[in-house]
Amino acid sequence: MTRPGFVLEVDDRTPPLLVHEGLGFRLEEFPQGTRVIYPPESLPTVPDVEEAIRESLENPVDSEPLRELMFPGMRLTIAFDDLSLPLPTMKAPDIRGRIIEQVLTIAAEKGVDDVEIIAALALHRRMTDAEMRHIVGERVFRSFAPSGKLYNHDAEDRSNLEHMGQTEKGEDVEINKRAATSDLLIYVNVNLVAMDGGHKSVGIGLASYKSIKHHHNAKTMVHSRSFMDHKHSEMHSSAWRMGRLIGEHVKVFQIETTLDNEVFGKPYDTLLKREWEWSLRDQATVLGLRRGLAVAPQKMRHKMFHDLRSNYGLTGITAGAVEPVHELTVQRVHQQQRVKVEGQSDVMVMGVPYLGPYNVNSTMNPILAACMGLGYYFNSYLRQPVVREGGVAILYHPLDEGFNTLTHPSYVDFYEEVLADTTDPALIGPKFEEQFATDPWYVHLYRTSNAYHGVHPFYMWYWIAHALDHLGDVIWVGGNPKAAARMGFRSASTLRDALEMASSTVGPSPSITYLRNPPHLLADVR
Amino acid sequence: MPRAGTITSVTSDLEQGTNQDDTRASIRERLAGQHVLLTGVTGFVGEALLHLLLTEVPDVRLSVLVRPKGSISGAERIAKMLAKPIFETVADAEVNVVEGDLSDPPALPGDLDAVVHSAGDVSFDPPVDEGFITNVVGVRELLRRIEETGRDVHYLHVSTAYVSGRRRGHIPEGPVDHSVDVEAELAWGLAQRAAVEERSRSVEVISKLRKQAEREHGRAGMMTAAAAAEEARKQWVKKELVRLGTERARSLGWTDCYTFTKALGERVVEGYAATGRRATIYRPAIIESSLARPYPGWIEGFKMAEPLILAYGRGELPLFPAAADTTADIVPVDHVVASIVACLAHPPEPGKPAYFHLASGDRNPLTFGMLYESVRAYFEKEPFAAGDRGAARLPEWTFQGGASVERLMATGEKVHKIADTLLGLAPRSDRTRGWARDLDRQGRRLQFLRRYLDLYKEYAQADLRFVDTNTLSLYRSLSPADQETFAFDTAVIDWHAYLHDIHVPSVTKPVRDLDELRKLRKRPVAGALPQVSASSTTEGTGSAADGGRVAAFFDLDGTLMSSNVIETYLWLRLGELSGTAKAAEIARVAGKVPKYVWADRAERSTLLRTVYREYAGARLSDLDELVDEHLTTHILGRLAPDAVRRIREHRAAGHVTVLVTGAIRPLTRPLMPLFDHIEAADLAIDDRGVCTGHLSASPLVGESRGAFVREWTRREGISPADCFAYADSHSDLPLLAAVGRPVAVRPDVPLFRHAKRSHWTIVDWESPAHATRTLDPAGRH
Repeated sequence: MTRPGFVLEVDDRTPPLLVHEGLGFRLEEFPQGTRVIYPPESLPTVPDVEEAIRESLENPVDSEPLRELMFPGMRLTIAFDDLSLPLPTMKAPDIRGRIIEQVLTIAAEKGVDDVEIIAALALHRRMTDAEMRHIVGERVFRSFAPSGKLYNHDAEDRSNLEHMGQTEKGEDVEINKRAATSDLLIYVNVNLVAMDGGHKSVGIGLASYKSIKHHHNAKTMVHSRSFMDHKHSEMHSSAWRMGRLIGEHVKVFQIETTLDNEVFGKPYDTLLKREWEWSLRDQATVLGLRRGLAVAPQKMRHKMFHDLRSNYGLTGITAGAVEPVHELTVQRVHQQQRVKVEGQSDVMVMGVPYLGPYNVNSTMNPILAACMGLGYYFNSYLRQPVVREGGVAILYHPLDEGFNTLTHPSYVDFYEEVLADTTDPALIGPKFEEQFATDPWYVHLYRTSNAYHGVHPFYMWYWIAHALDHLGDVIWVGGNPKAAARMGFRSASTLRDALEMASSTVGPSPSITYLRNPPHLLADVR
Repeated sequence: MPRAGTITSVTSDLEQGTNQDDTRASIRERLAGQHVLLTGVTGFVGEALLHLLLTEVPDVRLSVLVRPKGSISGAERIAKMLAKPIFETVADAEVNVVEGDLSDPPALPGDLDAVVHSAGDVSFDPPVDEGFITNVVGVRELLRRIEETGRDVHYLHVSTAYVSGRRRGHIPEGPVDHSVDVEAELAWGLAQRAAVEERSRSVEVISKLRKQAEREHGRAGMMTAAAAAEEARKQWVKKELVRLGTERARSLGWTDCYTFTKALGERVVEGYAATGRRATIYRPAIIESSLARPYPGWIEGFKMAEPLILAYGRGELPLFPAAADTTADIVPVDHVVASIVACLAHPPEPGKPAYFHLASGDRNPLTFGMLYESVRAYFEKEPFAAGDRGAARLPEWTFQGGASVERLMATGEKVHKIADTLLGLAPRSDRTRGWARDLDRQGRRLQFLRRYLDLYKEYAQADLRFVDTNTLSLYRSLSPADQETFAFDTAVIDWHAYLHDIHVPSVTKPVRDLDELRKLRKRPVAGALPQVSASSTTEGTGSAADGGRVAAFFDLDGTLMSSNVIETYLWLRLGELSGTAKAAEIARVAGKVPKYVWADRAERSTLLRTVYREYAGARLSDLDELVDEHLTTHILGRLAPDAVRRIREHRAAGHVTVLVTGAIRPLTRPLMPLFDHIEAADLAIDDRGVCTGHLSASPLVGESRGAFVREWTRREGISPADCFAYADSHSDLPLLAAVGRPVAVRPDVPLFRHAKRSHWTIVDWESPAHATRTLDPAGRH
């Protein structure tokens, strides 16, 4: 039986605890009384993945079996989540590839030959062939890519976008034309965390900037509390309105998958275990890793970490109509990640790891690190944030990785020009967003290279709007002071210093909660 | 003997004064109504003299002989000078300006009574011909003009106490004892320029200079090397002329060309006096800031000791070749001009020239030891704040004497030279540039030391005592009132007070003011670039100041991205190959690396041709495809973010952006959207579209880049002076030099040095570190 998540209270018997910080980690001695939130251990996975997929396609929720939705001569489009999911990239074969293969088998049996497969990457970067091949698998890639039937969604290809109208709140709904004009749109998702999936899949993954800007802005994000809880998230409400409108135009068949919590494969799985249960072997591994990382140059550490592949197992798969499917999916995600936490604390501590959704095979620049900590981890709550209003967030990350000019060209300029001007999410939008979103060079790079869209750094900053609004102070332990200051934060060299600095906001003996993440967790704060 | 005559002439004059006792005519009365012509009033002594005459002898009529400077006339120069604060009280004074140059003076006013000639080059080491022209020809011509007036004019010749040359001990106020044939030396000196120019064009000299220039600048192209060689020849001529002057002077017993020609100038004056005319030869020692008038510490420009004082205060003068007990014969400028006026008021008998020394060493000696103590005490009390690192450390002089100083210097210079050679071999990096900066700073210090030590060694080791009996008698003959107004008894000076409280504070003030200003000014961001254009915020119209268009030229390799031709070649080739073929290719290229490196050092186009030979047999369309498929990500990933931002700023300002590269055109494909024009190398192809391994035209490197910029801007109707250029390597010098706003990007050491010298902007556009992580053309993960 899987052990549930729990909240540890640090006492004199607690060993130093693992805290991730970019391309490395440290063992930190937390003050006594600190609460440490551990997620549940991995749920049992499905015994036979192929069988589970088949079962879900043949017995979908609120829908005819997939087979019956297909007919010869139809236009069939399959869209799938891009490489931002799951994190880290899973070991081959990727679950999406296995699902797509089965879908294609059914389509072939039903005589469907107009099939196109689209990576639903919204304004994310185009994936390289290698990355695409990894997700869909060698066979699918070889059958579809050379003939141009497997490709990245292009949100700037005006000729290939369809404006489907506006929602009752006046939000433009504009998505990929091929998808919008198909007889059937199948979406293959990986629901790593609670914010993924549902109407967000098609409504955002295949949309254009014109459509996305209605919910990706500072105002909406501040009112998404949290966006890990779609029923209390402004952003999700908007996506849901859009999704329903899309559903009126095109039949969407949603396939959602949920994963267990095996974030790292061997030998790094030690990093997922609870510290007091480390065997001698685990302790030796951690010691060896730390020694190695301490002397390894940055390039090598980058390679070490980014070559990691996850050991994720499938905990469930559901197909059918978007909303009921997503209900079941969210239930399973909660089961895997939810931890009950009693009350808020004054200080919240988070270790920002080397990887987030937007730096797969790239670098965790300071903006992404901020988004990872204050966007994702901070928002990993149900009901109310782990930290009280006016409290302090203490994050671990060196903020020293710099910008990858290939994948994040507009980030560099955002950092140099926008953040140098203001760090207020509400101000940057009106002043700079349009200019970045329409810049022809960024558009060119987004469309032809492997660059995130020009507007993407703004979204990172909107993600953290809720945290900035809620928190009294943000302190980075071990963070590059210059980078921290540019983003409007402070930096400290040790946790002790950080707490000292925080004392002016939360007093000398604050209550502290440390989110032991990864593995993924969702704090249900009562 | 002339000496006795001099004394007689003065004493006879003085006796007159004594006879009249308290009714002695004051200087003011003696000079009233006289018409005096001054030369050299734009100089330090001249200006002080003019000031003293205007303020204290208002009844004298003044003419000044001034040379026009550029487009500024002599009258304008004087008007400008009289607008200075010290002339405020006499702003409406009338000064008659005679425009003209001393080498060919104009006719002088017909009613002159006296001429004070204080013009002259004060440089100790002028080229020999210039020394003669200024100090001998100038004097002769001026005297000729004076003779033309046909009047009994008192000619007062400002010489220098050091005309005594390398003598030792007491120096009397009389003619310098020598038998040099003035006319022969003059003829020789004037002929030297032509002779040295001639010699500089001899095969031995120019071929040596050319070879050295080509070694240093060959990579930038032959024209750059040629320009450098010609510049070196001019420098050689100048150095040779200086050397000739110094050598000739020393062979005849003078310290340098300055004192040598000054001494010959005195002979000319003595010849003039011998024709029955009045002449005074006036010899001051080392003139420094004033003791009291117009205010204590007044000084214009830097004189002899100031660079040394400042260098000491900065902690940059660790040693000095003097002995602690040698006299530093300094006189304040107000004593100098006061005694000149007194001399002026007491003309000698016709035919018997008078001699006056204004010096302090005989009666009130200041030794180098005292000088050092006072200067040191001052800087201990008021140190220079060396940047933000606190006070500079003051060196302690041990007065070890000339020989050991010379040994130290020689060792320092040798070490510097070795370090410089090593630096030339070091690969380019931030660290190398840092070394180059340090080394150059040290080099400048060494050069400074060497120059001043060589110049001043003679003076610092000269045990000369200038007897000032005549001057003192003259002073004592003045009325008490005049003695106060025209004070010039150097024995009254309290050296410590003068140095510590007046002179050193005065000469350090401009430096402190400048430091203060610098501190106030916002610290410039390291490598701050000039604004693309002032109007770039207002939706730039791409216009220069005069409304014309502006272009920005960018070099590719090393400037926009971190790579070189060998690397790009490898990417391109490795993309096509796989497995063992790839390994073989890397091994093959690695085997050639020394050759490539050698080629890179020799000339850029040779390197490019060597590498492009490897493309033989590739299909051009395949290359294009290969770039699009595999290399776009690598090229874009290696772009320096700052470079891209800069290009985009130019575009936003409406400028034309141009990429100039020796790389082949397919490699520039990913950058096409950033540039309006790309000038790249085209691979020659045969009729099947297969590369021949040659280029269709010479690669655009070195000089041809400069030519390209000039031709392209001419065709486009753009003024190169308004254009920007960005490049990283010495071979890009012609490109940078062709535009008005050059920027050196992560330069190699030769370009770094050139940029520093030319005050070009130097920036550090770093390519992302991770971009150089792997060489995996297929982009697999």
